[in-house]
Amino acid sequence: MTVSSTVSRQRDPVDISRHRNNIAISSATATKAGHFNVWGNSFAAEHLPAGGSLVHVAGVPFRFPPVCAGPDNVRCEGQFVPVTESRYDWIHVLAAAERRCEDTVELHFGDGSVDAEPLRISDFWAAPAWFGELLAFRSPVMHYPHHVQQGVPAVMWAQRVPVTRRADLVGIRLPRNVAMHIFAVTLEHAEAGHDR
Amino acid sequence: MTGEVSTRTCLIAEPEMWYRDLISCLQATFGTLVARLGADPLAVLGAGWRFLHLPGDVRFDEFYYPCPDSDLGAALAPHHELRARWWQPADEDDVWREVRESLARDQPVVAAVDNFYLPFRPAYRDVHAAHLVVVYGLDEDRGLVYVSDAMPPAYRGPVPIEEFSNSWGSANPADVQDAFFSDSRIGRRCLDVRLGAQPASLTPELLGGYLRVDVDGFTTATAARTGLAGFDAFAGELVGRCRAGDAAALRELYPFGWGMQAQASLHGELLRRCGREWGDPALAGAGRAVEAVAHAWTGLRITGAHGIADARAVAADIAHHATVLRGKYAYAVDAVSAAI
Repeated sequence: MTVSSTVSRQRDPVDISRHRNNIAISSATATKAGHFNVWGNSFAAEHLPAGGSLVHVAGVPFRFPPVCAGPDNVRCEGQFVPVTESRYDWIHVLAAAERRCEDTVELHFGDGSVDAEPLRISDFWAAPAWFGELLAFRSPVMHYPHHVQQGVPAVMWAQRVPVTRRADLVGIRLPRNVAMHIFAVTLEHAEAGHDR
Repeated sequence: MTGEVSTRTCLIAEPEMWYRDLISCLQATFGTLVARLGADPLAVLGAGWRFLHLPGDVRFDEFYYPCPDSDLGAALAPHHELRARWWQPADEDDVWREVRESLARDQPVVAAVDNFYLPFRPAYRDVHAAHLVVVYGLDEDRGLVYVSDAMPPAYRGPVPIEEFSNSWGSANPADVQDAFFSDSRIGRRCLDVRLGAQPASLTPELLGGYLRVDVDGFTTATAARTGLAGFDAFAGELVGRCRAGDAAALRELYPFGWGMQAQASLHGELLRRCGREWGDPALAGAGRAVEAVAHAWTGLRITGAHGIADARAVAADIAHHATVLRGKYAYAVDAVSAAI
């Protein structure tokens, strides 16, 4: 057994641009453009990072999605996201849910095996981190189709999914659950030589 | 406890707000009142866990809850002497009389309202939607009604009596922006909520008795849509109606599912809390399994909400989430049974 030391692992943001299918972030002058949930609520762009910027949450780098420039998140409908084939330990996501929610992601490996792992995301609407996620970003106001609402924050969470199988990951199939929204994905590599 | 009281002015102590992110204004207002009566809201509202669907009964209110004998308190807290009945003002020429009398007895009033007319609600002058608030004061001389609303953005304070009256008496017309909680007349409905005997301290033996009753409820088929068999009947009909393109099935799913989801979340949280406090990991794990039921309701409800424009197109997804939810129910019932 290899004893792990506190080294900085390689973490690579994943390009999910072709899967984005929902607009969850709007500007204060065009709140109607966003429709994260069924009521047409959305995050306030003015309180979030710049579109396309590299952001870090607890040391994990994420490529923040475009802001006010088309779809900015993947509303989960069972999409398959291919990844660079390699060994990984963690899948990190920036995510939010339309009400507190848990479902499964399928992890597909190069040897043909498939594992289901839980993805747990707390509500974006003025809610606590029920599943122990990290608060990634928070807009202190909520955008409604016709106004900006004070006192109701919109919250984006940093959550992670373990890759327990010691095999090369080739893809991730997202949940078939439209309540879940993924804004960014970053893969954390397994420590070099670890349990090979 | 009672503050200044006169014929036209009565302001009682501000109620403590009570809230969880999966509950609706129904559990929030009841929790607020239960706390005011000196009991633990989670221990009362989270003690029971059931499935009940009453075909044709669903109302388009945020606070809909299946209630076979018209007693919402008994439906929400089947193991406690919580009682609640709807009432409306008896005298159209003095609609505030009962509110005045209740406040004079130091009893807040739960009132149904239309968010469209309430300045502190996000839907103000935008969307019609049925909601519940706690009224804890009335100042007819200054034209103010004091309300408490734990649902975000959370507000406690005065509202102009004219705005409140419009809200309380609203027809709550159909609103395309809210298919689920509009088109349901408010009609100055109020709830009289009472708690009989003060709940006994929760012990493993007492909770075990509640759990045995609830497990029996889930595993014993009845003529009504109760328990796991009742869920199967409900889900089968829901999927069938979606396949037939019946959008009304999805419109009903959202308010109906909220009550079942909220109840599961509170019950699961209570079991987890008791399991931790009593050093009983099986009970804590059973609580987490019940919470997973609440979380699976999200997938079903939200899929239905987004699919309301074309029920046939989402029928397969509705069937998928109903299957997942059924599995969570079965697992949780088994976990609770094993923890008794």
